[in-house]
Amino acid sequence: MSQARIEVSDLIVRYGGVTAVAGVSFTVGRGEHVTLLGPSGCGKTTTLRAIAGLEEPSSGAIRIDGQTMYSSTDRRNIPSEKRGVSMVFQSYAVWPHMTVFDNVAYGLRVRKLPRAEVAANVDRALGLVQMREFASRPASNLSGGQQQRVALARAVAFSPTVVLFDEPLSNLDAKLRAEMRVELRELQRRLDITSVYVTHDQEEALAISDRVIVMYNGGIEQIGSPEAIYNRPKSRFVADFVGSANLIGGRLKSAPNGPGPVLFETEGGVTLQAQATHPPRGDENRVAVRTAYIDLAAGSPNGATNIAPGNIRERLFHGDFIQYIVDWPAGQLIVRRPPTEMFEEGATVAISFAAEHCVLLEA
Amino acid sequence: MRPAEIAPHPDPLRAMRERGNRAGSARWLRVPPFSAQAIVTLLILLVCGGLVVYPVVFLVEAALNTGDPQEFPLQEWGLANFAALGEDWHILANTALVACMATVMAVTFGFVVAWILTRTRVPGGARLERLMELPYYMTPLVGALAWAILASPRTGALNQVWHAVGGGGDLFDIYSPFGIAWVMALFEGTVAFVMISAAMKSMDPSLEETSRVLGAGKWRTVIKITLPLVMPGVLGATIFVFAEMLGSFAAAYVLGIPGRYYVITTAIWQATTSYPPDFGRAAAMGISLFAVMLVTLTIYRLIVRRGNYATITGKAFRPRAMEVGRAAWILLAVCWAYILVAVVLPMMALLLTSFQRFATVIVDQMQFTLANYENAVRFAAVRSALVNSLVLGFGVASIGVLVMTVLVWIIYRSRAPGHGLIEYVAMFPQAVPRLVFGLALLWAWLNIPIPIYGTLWLLALAYFTVLMPLGVRTLAGVMLQIDKSLEECARVCGASWGYQLRTVTMPLLRPGIVAAWLLLFIASVRELGVSIFLVGPNAQVIAPSIASAWLSSSTELSTALAIIQTSVVFIALAILFRAARRFTGELR
Repeated sequence: MSQARIEVSDLIVRYGGVTAVAGVSFTVGRGEHVTLLGPSGCGKTTTLRAIAGLEEPSSGAIRIDGQTMYSSTDRRNIPSEKRGVSMVFQSYAVWPHMTVFDNVAYGLRVRKLPRAEVAANVDRALGLVQMREFASRPASNLSGGQQQRVALARAVAFSPTVVLFDEPLSNLDAKLRAEMRVELRELQRRLDITSVYVTHDQEEALAISDRVIVMYNGGIEQIGSPEAIYNRPKSRFVADFVGSANLIGGRLKSAPNGPGPVLFETEGGVTLQAQATHPPRGDENRVAVRTAYIDLAAGSPNGATNIAPGNIRERLFHGDFIQYIVDWPAGQLIVRRPPTEMFEEGATVAISFAAEHCVLLEA
Repeated sequence: MRPAEIAPHPDPLRAMRERGNRAGSARWLRVPPFSAQAIVTLLILLVCGGLVVYPVVFLVEAALNTGDPQEFPLQEWGLANFAALGEDWHILANTALVACMATVMAVTFGFVVAWILTRTRVPGGARLERLMELPYYMTPLVGALAWAILASPRTGALNQVWHAVGGGGDLFDIYSPFGIAWVMALFEGTVAFVMISAAMKSMDPSLEETSRVLGAGKWRTVIKITLPLVMPGVLGATIFVFAEMLGSFAAAYVLGIPGRYYVITTAIWQATTSYPPDFGRAAAMGISLFAVMLVTLTIYRLIVRRGNYATITGKAFRPRAMEVGRAAWILLAVCWAYILVAVVLPMMALLLTSFQRFATVIVDQMQFTLANYENAVRFAAVRSALVNSLVLGFGVASIGVLVMTVLVWIIYRSRAPGHGLIEYVAMFPQAVPRLVFGLALLWAWLNIPIPIYGTLWLLALAYFTVLMPLGVRTLAGVMLQIDKSLEECARVCGASWGYQLRTVTMPLLRPGIVAAWLLLFIASVRELGVSIFLVGPNAQVIAPSIASAWLSSSTELSTALAIIQTSVVFIALAILFRAARRFTGELR
C-alpha cells in the first residue's frame, strides 16, 4: 500500500440521475504513468477531476500518498488547493491577463516562496519546455503549442509529485500533437513525477503510458500495459476502441479449463486456432484479429496457421498503409498492409494470421 | 484571451457535469460550513433576500389591508382592494389599448430595422446598429418631453409646419392614446430591435444558403426560409415587449395626466399621491400588474425554452448579408427615418427649447438665452438633484459592481448551498414593474423604524435592489465566457478562494466589470420609476425633477435638465462603446 501514490477505490460520481463514474478502483504506483482511455462520456475526465478535487464524488475513497483526500465514509473532502497535486487542462487554462513568467510563477507565489527561488524555479520549468525566451511575453499572444508548453511548465514548476493531464494535446493539430507526445514522454521520465493522463486518443495512450486503463460507460473495461491492451483485448469494446480489429463471430469448438489455445469455428464454417486470455466459459461468440496482423499472399504461405482463401473486394490507399476489404468464407475482413505489398482489386489471395493474434473475447 | 475561446472536445457529460454541479447531491461536503465561501454566500443571501423580499411583503400586506392603512401588522384584511379594481375597468382597458398599440409599433419598427441591418448589405450598417440603441438611453421621459414639443396640438413644431403648408387641423396630437403608445414604442421598444436582431444573427446561414443552392431565388428564400425561422424569435420579442409596455410609466405620466387619461401605472401613482393616499388600491393594482406581467413573462420563457427554436443554436454565426442592389438606399432611408424621429428630431426640439427664454417653435418669436442652464445650476433644489444623481450613480455603480461580482461568481461557479436561490433573488426585481417596486419600497421603508426614508441612503439601497438584475446579467455574460478551467487551475495550483478571485477571476472579468459599472451608472442617472416615490425635500434626483418641472409648466427648465441628463448618459455610453471596442480588440 505504501508503494501506491494514488489509490482510487469504489469511486462513484453521480450528476442528478446520471451516473458518470460507476464504481472505479485502481492504483497508480510511484513514478508510474497511467492513462485513462475511453470515448467521450465514459467517465475518464470525471475520475481525473475527482482526484484533483474539482468534482465531488458520491461515494468511494481517494488516497494520495496514503493520505485520505476524499472518503464518503469519513465525510472527508480535502479542497483542491490543499491536495498538492498539479494539473494540465484540456484548454491549457493559460491566464491571458498575465505574462508567461507570472503564469508559471503562480503556484510558487501561492506557496509564498522567496522571490529568488520563484525566479529560479520558473527559469528551470521554462527551460524544460524550451520557452525561456518567452518569459516576459503576455500569455495572450502565444500559439497553441506555446500555450501548451506554458501550461506544462506551470504544472511542474512547484515540483509536485502528482501531475494530472486532462486531454492536454487534444486541441493541437495532428503534427504538433505527435511532437508534443514525444516531449511529454521525455518530461515524464526526466522529472520524478507520477502522472495520470486522460485521453480519447488510443495512439496517444499507447505511446506515452506505462499502463492503460480503458474505461467505458463509467466502468473499467481493462487495465494493462499498452502491449497487453493492444495484443490481448479482453472485450469487444477494447478490441474495437483500441487500434482497429476484425471481430469474427462464431462459437467455441474446444474449451479448456484455463487460458490458452482454443479452437473457434466461425459463422462461415472456418475453424481457427485462437488464444484465450481468460478461462473460457464456453459461450464466447467472438474472436478479434487486428487488421495489421493479417498476412495476404499471392500463393499458399508456408508454415502459417489459420490459412483461408480470400478475394480482394476493395483497396483504399492511405499512404502509410493500404487498407483492403477482403471477402473470405466467414464474411469480410479488413486488412492493413504496408504499401510495399500491393494486390489488385479482384485478385485471389491466401489469408493467414497467427493463433496468438486471434484473441477470444469475453462474452 | 485565446484559451477561453477554444471549444473543448465535445463531451456530452460535460453539460451534465455542469448541471450536476449546480444541483448535485451531497453538496454539503464540498464547502465546509464555516469556510469564507459559505459565510459570504449566507451573508449575500440574507442581505439581498431582505432587500428584495421585504418590500414585496409590505406590498402584499398593503393590498390585503382593509382596515386602518397605518396599522401594522394588519388588523382587518380581505380582498376588497382587489374587488374594487372592477370599478377601474376603463383604466385597465386604457392600459391594454396603449400596450397593444405600442407593442405592434415597436415590433414592426424593430423587425424591419433588424432585418435591414442584420440581413442585407446597406452602407454603414454596423454604425447604424449602435445608433438604434440610443432612444432607449434617452429614456421615455425625455422622449415624451421632446415629442410634446414636437407634436402638441396647435403649438407643436410638426403641427405648425403642417399649418404652414396649408394643412387643416392637427397632423398629430401627442396627448392621445396613440401619442403615448408612439413614445413608448420609440423609446422603450428598442428591446424589440435588440431581441429580433439577436434572433436573426444567430441563424445558421447555411440554412439559407441551402435554399439558394437548391435553386430558390433571393426573395423566395426570405419568405420561405428566413421568415419562418425567425418567427419564434419575433413572437418571443412581442410577448416580452408587451409585458414591458404594461409596466411602462413615463410616457403615460407626461402625456396622459394632463388629459386625465390614465393607464394602470399612472393610476397607481395617482392613488398614492392624491389626498388621502389610497395605498390599498395602489398596492392591489400593483400586485395585479405584477401578476399579469409574471404570466406574460412565463409564457415568453416557455416559448423560448420550447426548443423548436431552430435559429437559436448558441453558436455565433456571421450571417450572410443579402445583396439588395439599388434597394439598399431605400432600406437605408428607412433606418435613418427611424433615427430621425427617435433621436434627431427629439434632440433638436429639446436643444432648441432649452436655449429659449419662452418655449416656442415660431422662428421670429424665439429669444435665445443660457438662463435655463444657469437656473439649473443656481436653484438649490435643482442643483442638488443634479449632484445627487451623479453621487448616486458613482456610489451605486462602484459598490454595486463589487457586490454583484461576488454574487455572480457564487451563482455560476460556487457549489455552496443556497447559490441557486441567490439567482432567483437577484433576478426577481426584473419581474416586478419598476413603478410597482417603487411603491413597495416606499411602503416598506415608511413602516420601518430605521430613519432612512427621505435620504439618499434609501435611494441608493433602492437603486441597488432594482438594478441588481442588470448588473448580474451583464457580469454573467462575461463570466460564462471565461473558461472554468482558468479558475480551477488556480485552485489546483494551491490558491484559496479569495486569492483566486483576486488574481484570476476579477482581472479576467475586467471587461464585464467596466461594462457593468457604466450600465449601472447610466441606469442610476436615468432612474424614474423608483425615484419618484422615494425622493424627498432633502433627497432630490434628476429624473423626477425633470418630470415635476415639466408638469409645473417650466418647460424650458425641464428641457435644459433633460439635455443635461441625456448628455451625462451619452458620455457614459460613449465610454462604454469605446471600452467595448477595446476589449473586443483585445479578444482577437
